[in-house]
Amino acid sequence: MPSLPVVLPLIAAAVLLAARPLARYRRVLDLVAAGTSAAVAVLLGILIFRTDHASTYWFAGFRPAHGIAVGIAFTVGPLNAGLACVGAILMTAAMVFSWRYFTGVGTYFHVLMLTFLAGLCGFCLTGDVFDLFVWFELMGVSAYALTAYRPEERGPIQGALNFAITNSVGAYLSLTGIALIYGRTGALNMAQIGAWVSRHPPSGLVVIAFVLVIAGLLVKSAIVPFHFWLADAHAVAPTPLCVLFSGVMVELGLYGIARMYWSVFGPGLGHRAAIGRVFLVLGVLTAVVGALYCFRERHVKRLLAFSTISHAGVFLAGFALLSPLGLAGAALYVAGHAFVKAALFLGAGIVLHRLRSVNETWLHGRGRKLPVTGALFTAAALGLADLPPFGTFLGKGWIDDAAGSPAVTIILLACTIVAAGSVLRVAGGVFYGLGDPPREDERMAAEANEETGETDSARQRTPLTMSVPLALLVAAGLATGIAAMVPRAGDALLSAAAQFQAQPQARPADVTVSSVVTGLVSAAGAVGVGLAGLYWRRIPVLRGRYEPGARGTGLADRFQSGVINDYITWVIAGLACLGGVLAAIIRLRGLAPGSRRPWHASDISCRRRSTTRRP
Amino acid sequence: MSPRQRLVLFTVAMAGLAACFAWAVAGLPGFGNYPGPYGPVILHDAVGQTHATGVVSAVNFEYRGFDTVGEEFILFAAAAGLSVVLRRLRDERESRPVDNSNRLPVPDSVRVPALIFTGPTVLIGWWLASHAQTNPSGGFQGGIMLASALILIYLAGEFIAFRRLSPVALLDAVEAVGAGGFAVIGLIALAMGLPYLDNFVPLGTIPGAVSSGGTIPLISFFVGLEVAAAFVAIIGEFGEQTLLVRRS
Repeated sequence: MPSLPVVLPLIAAAVLLAARPLARYRRVLDLVAAGTSAAVAVLLGILIFRTDHASTYWFAGFRPAHGIAVGIAFTVGPLNAGLACVGAILMTAAMVFSWRYFTGVGTYFHVLMLTFLAGLCGFCLTGDVFDLFVWFELMGVSAYALTAYRPEERGPIQGALNFAITNSVGAYLSLTGIALIYGRTGALNMAQIGAWVSRHPPSGLVVIAFVLVIAGLLVKSAIVPFHFWLADAHAVAPTPLCVLFSGVMVELGLYGIARMYWSVFGPGLGHRAAIGRVFLVLGVLTAVVGALYCFRERHVKRLLAFSTISHAGVFLAGFALLSPLGLAGAALYVAGHAFVKAALFLGAGIVLHRLRSVNETWLHGRGRKLPVTGALFTAAALGLADLPPFGTFLGKGWIDDAAGSPAVTIILLACTIVAAGSVLRVAGGVFYGLGDPPREDERMAAEANEETGETDSARQRTPLTMSVPLALLVAAGLATGIAAMVPRAGDALLSAAAQFQAQPQARPADVTVSSVVTGLVSAAGAVGVGLAGLYWRRIPVLRGRYEPGARGTGLADRFQSGVINDYITWVIAGLACLGGVLAAIIRLRGLAPGSRRPWHASDISCRRRSTTRRP
Repeated sequence: MSPRQRLVLFTVAMAGLAACFAWAVAGLPGFGNYPGPYGPVILHDAVGQTHATGVVSAVNFEYRGFDTVGEEFILFAAAAGLSVVLRRLRDERESRPVDNSNRLPVPDSVRVPALIFTGPTVLIGWWLASHAQTNPSGGFQGGIMLASALILIYLAGEFIAFRRLSPVALLDAVEAVGAGGFAVIGLIALAMGLPYLDNFVPLGTIPGAVSSGGTIPLISFFVGLEVAAAFVAIIGEFGEQTLLVRRS
């Protein structure tokens, strides 16, 4: 059964392509795609609750013998099945949303969405390093093509190229890392490599292989300075796809890093505190950079993309604490964020469908005729600001508890306030017409106005297939938080995190007063930032200076330049720094050369399950 | 960044990464000292367990068959994605196909060998794809050879014939059958209560015989179909981009 979440969407994709003459019956395509996604979500939901301890599934029945795996395994635990389940739910919502959304959509859109879903599930569930790479690539290839879904415009092609090239370079570096570690250990199974690495003192090869393997994942998860592609791709990708990019694809990269650390490299690398601090610095940097870029943005989809970068930094910080509570907090935060961010993108999609623009400046006050969308968008924005009882507040609260450092808490709080405040500014300005109409910035207006090709014509009513998924996603964001506040559910999540890390669970998962207070402060602060953004010109100290939205010059644009060469340079520079820092950490404590373990061919052979019929 | 700044940063960063990489490579075992258990274990067990003498195929389609499912679908998604990006758009008109041979005559020294080799290429491709259990390649290579046969026709200047032999609807259908067939074979094992992709077909008595290997030649055949159709589709799409002028 663990194979089905991957296999079902693949078979559905093949069937849809075979039945291309049926593409006229658009509803058949929609039904098959949405139905398959929903079935996968249900299957994964069952897997979450069926596996209280990690269960391993061996493909073709090749079980390992003497600690040597010849086949491929899925290692299904609550955390990775849960992440895949969130992905499948978002996919279902996206498919329902696109029911009335696209006009010129053919079979290929559905086929690629289904292969994306299969890649997503395989990536989450696998316990094999090379298999991980295969599904990572399937997800990537589908995503690149879907981003370029409107090739008649310049924007999508450029955004998709930035996305494809940056991520492919990352993927090649990952593959190089896999080759290095395979060349030394002769193994691809995560547990088997992990066992080898922890038996040997950390060598240069292991350190650099770790850095290279996570290179592709760092790019995917948009960690500064690997993040530049994300905003370019989000701005131009079809809105249903943005739901998946922001809601789950970025988070998958982070899951991959956590998986690589805990299942493969971490136990052998040692120096846990120092390595955790490196990731904490990266996470905090990402949160700050994302929040600042988010604030100055006027293109709604790009603004949401930068808020995703900021939140990815918070997730990484949660993982970097390397404690079960930190990881459980990050996992809960990922789930809560996925639902509200997906809702925000669907809201932006409805605005684009009805008003044919995603330019905050132009839209000012024009969203007043969309009261339901406005209310749901605002609610989701408050969820993004960690308002209790959205799932985000408790996740953030656990991360703060695990960090136990006021400095980290305050910085992350400030980032959330600024990022979510910018989204609230959009909500207040567009849907309620609050504040002053922002000044027109020519370049940004030109960019935002390019966003028209997704739907045929502005409709007079919002179709139910668009507003219902939006409402359900906001409700799911609330439900995540309420469910996690049940003590038993919180403890289950915490023990799942502890099991993911193979660590003892130190403490129960509580809903502390401080997490509720922090959530309320965060939401209030975000409302304040949102209002300040709307009434910027009336704030005496600023006198209209530093108003968000002026783009084209300045330091920020020199970094986010849109030039692929720059992005690749930053990827290489980031990796060189990360490699250097980790090497320094390991070196400072003394490094013994990796001893070679003698290996005996005679006593090893792989076993096959005897259920196979033999003639 | 100015090009100059970029060049400086890139050079410094690349030097750093290269130093890291050199440090890592220094930790690899020396040339010829394969350290891992995987190769010897497979060599020891594969023929006995799968009755396939093509051990590479046994690894591709049996031991690590699930990777191959993913790889096949990467190609599948890439071909579909290319069709999305290069599809004819609503506001583009297609001009009449330009027959290349009139404007740019293909010399007979290219034409004749291309057409002569078409037949043998089909034969070898078919053999490679459908007898994976006995030869060291299998569906991927065989599929590429089958695609090359059609590309030879294209090379002989017969783009119109090439397109007529490979209409898009047919290519899509073959691709879907190839990719889906592999996934379904795995599913049959599941329906029989076996793990996904387990070898449920009798393995045959003599390793290396035509009937040996169980699901290995079957899977390989479907992979061959998928790869051939995908590559023909990709070449066809690119050919149309250059040969058919599209105006909007």
